[in-house]
Amino acid sequence: MTVAKSRGSTLGRESVREALVGYAFVALPIASFLIFFMYPLGYAFYISYFDWGALGRIESLGLGNYREILHDDLFGHALRNTLRYAVIVVPSQMALGLALAVTVNQALRFRTFFRAAFYFPAVAGSIAITAVAAYILSSDGLLNAGISSVRGSEYHHSWFGDSGTALESIMALNIWTTSGTMMLFYLATLQSIPTDVYEAAAIDGAGSWRTFWKITFPLLKPGHFFVAVVSVIGSLQIFDQAFFVSGGSGGPNYSTMTIVLYLFNTAIDGVRFGYASAIGIVLFAMIATLTLIQRLLFGRAEVA
Amino acid sequence: MRQRLIVLATLVAGTVASAILAAGAQSTTSLDRPQAVTASGTVTLSGWSVGKTEEDLVKSVVASFERKYPKIKVNYDAIPNYDEAMLAKFSARKPPDVFYLNSEKAPTWISQGLIAPLDKYISKTKFKIKPFYPRLLGAFRANGKIYGFPKDWSPLGMEINTELLAKAGGKAPTTWAQLRSLAQRLKGQMTGTAKPICISAEWQRALAFVYQNKGIVLKNGKPQFTSAAVRQGINFYVQLQKDGLADTPAKLGVGWCGEAIGKEKAAIAFEGNWAFPYLPDTFPNVKWRFYPMPKGKVRGTLAFTVSYSTSPASKNKDAAWVLISYLTGKTGMKLWTTKGLALPARSDVKINFPAPSRKPLLSEAAYAHVWLWPAGWDKVWTVANNELSAVMEGKQTVNGMLSKIQSEAQSVR
Repeated sequence: MTVAKSRGSTLGRESVREALVGYAFVALPIASFLIFFMYPLGYAFYISYFDWGALGRIESLGLGNYREILHDDLFGHALRNTLRYAVIVVPSQMALGLALAVTVNQALRFRTFFRAAFYFPAVAGSIAITAVAAYILSSDGLLNAGISSVRGSEYHHSWFGDSGTALESIMALNIWTTSGTMMLFYLATLQSIPTDVYEAAAIDGAGSWRTFWKITFPLLKPGHFFVAVVSVIGSLQIFDQAFFVSGGSGGPNYSTMTIVLYLFNTAIDGVRFGYASAIGIVLFAMIATLTLIQRLLFGRAEVA
Repeated sequence: MRQRLIVLATLVAGTVASAILAAGAQSTTSLDRPQAVTASGTVTLSGWSVGKTEEDLVKSVVASFERKYPKIKVNYDAIPNYDEAMLAKFSARKPPDVFYLNSEKAPTWISQGLIAPLDKYISKTKFKIKPFYPRLLGAFRANGKIYGFPKDWSPLGMEINTELLAKAGGKAPTTWAQLRSLAQRLKGQMTGTAKPICISAEWQRALAFVYQNKGIVLKNGKPQFTSAAVRQGINFYVQLQKDGLADTPAKLGVGWCGEAIGKEKAAIAFEGNWAFPYLPDTFPNVKWRFYPMPKGKVRGTLAFTVSYSTSPASKNKDAAWVLISYLTGKTGMKLWTTKGLALPARSDVKINFPAPSRKPLLSEAAYAHVWLWPAGWDKVWTVANNELSAVMEGKQTVNGMLSKIQSEAQSVR
């Protein structure tokens, strides 16, 4: 008995020590997470209840900032644009990312080259890419020159400068630039699918099309969930391209006004940190809700 | 042999250069004799990034200050993402001692207590405020106090491509009617996406035409966007585009109207002194010059100005004031504006600008309205510019735009 007891306590001590070592390893990242992420997040909640300027608290507003958001036309434009952006970009990004992943997962020649090439835009700076795109998409840019030569007549559409195509051009640009990242996530999940299910399918005489839809696609469920969440979060936070294309105005005709661009303008031009924080909290709530919905949609078991 | 020649040449050049430098140093020390000032220590000076030419000029003016006040050392720093960086510095209670304050930001920054009034120092050192153009200094007055002195300014003037003007057989227009008729004559000469006139979908340009029509958008704190005078003024501007005489930078395939002049996408544009050194440096072969803005019912234009200011959180306010009063004083401003990169904000600084002449711009001083609005109006102008771009796309009417802006302006607390 005593032997067993003492053994138990050594085990306990050991597991405590093991846990401590574990915590020691993660202490630094956890500390930085708490200090640089959780604390500012909590603080943003706090100041969203105030009229808050560059030097701090001006007056307490209670829910005033949140009430103002409800009646704010500019926020309305920003919300509609951001949601429209997400509705188009998220599925496109997922489809393109999956297509690329399946392609480079095969035994292709120059496979490494293709993987790197598809991933390249994710590494390049988004502003740099947008700046180059601005040249290509300008009214006498490369794209219009191409269209002109196909049509046989002069075509000078300003893709970023027209409210009918400004946001759509940003969408197209971002679907392309982030597809590499989505590809990477899908590729990781693809490679975790055990090969025996494919062997079984092959024995049963399933073609490649059927194998993809009946086996690969359903087994990619954890990948779908992760990619969808990352894509939704990224889409709702669209800022830099909209800022660059419109020079910060969100124009023309409100077409590139997004939630984060409006938040930025409120904080920097208006120096209204409280109201900007309230906008940030609303965005946070939107993202959290959508992530929860996605989790329910894709099922708990598969995710874990 | 060749090596020896190079060494010899370097030696000769070095000697000549140091002789010139020594002579230069001598002449400056005799001019700017060190003065007896009690302030001392280090002063930080910050502005936004303005490109190498201008930053070198700031450094040379600072160097002349340090020669005159050897006890004060200046750390000059050009900050990228200026507004964001400055707000962070204000929040941390560690702003630079002396910094640029854009007239557009002045009301908001002053109302939040970020900017220190200078009146105490003005009276103590008997600094003369008379020589400053009153309209420019007015941008930095609030609550009966002065929160900065303008370091320079620029109105909007009319840039015209002089070669195209000569081909159109015309004189520069001085009235709205002449502007339209010149544009009509230029129309045949513009090819591809080019148009006679470049106009931005921005009230920071369009409002000049409203002033020329005696329109006032804010009178005694009350927005007047829907008044007839405002409507007619903005109509004239918009109609230039509707009639095919003008287009926006985006439609012309450029980033802004100055670039449209450089790339000859337009023959006429309404911009300011910030065309220098960009246009001559980037497009040295394009012949153009500034003319006064055309006259509607009256002469009128917009002006933009920037002050040197300090903050209540400055650790070295006395030295900060010495620097501000030097930089905006007669000597400092003359050094700063002498190359024509900026226009003097003082009427007692007379400069023989290098060509092309800045006279047409300076002649606007008496007709210029500074772009200056109450705190909270940044949002009004965001709405206004989006509405204006909608009007120019034919998706909004001028009346619809003006009532939208009016209600946005009325909702500012």
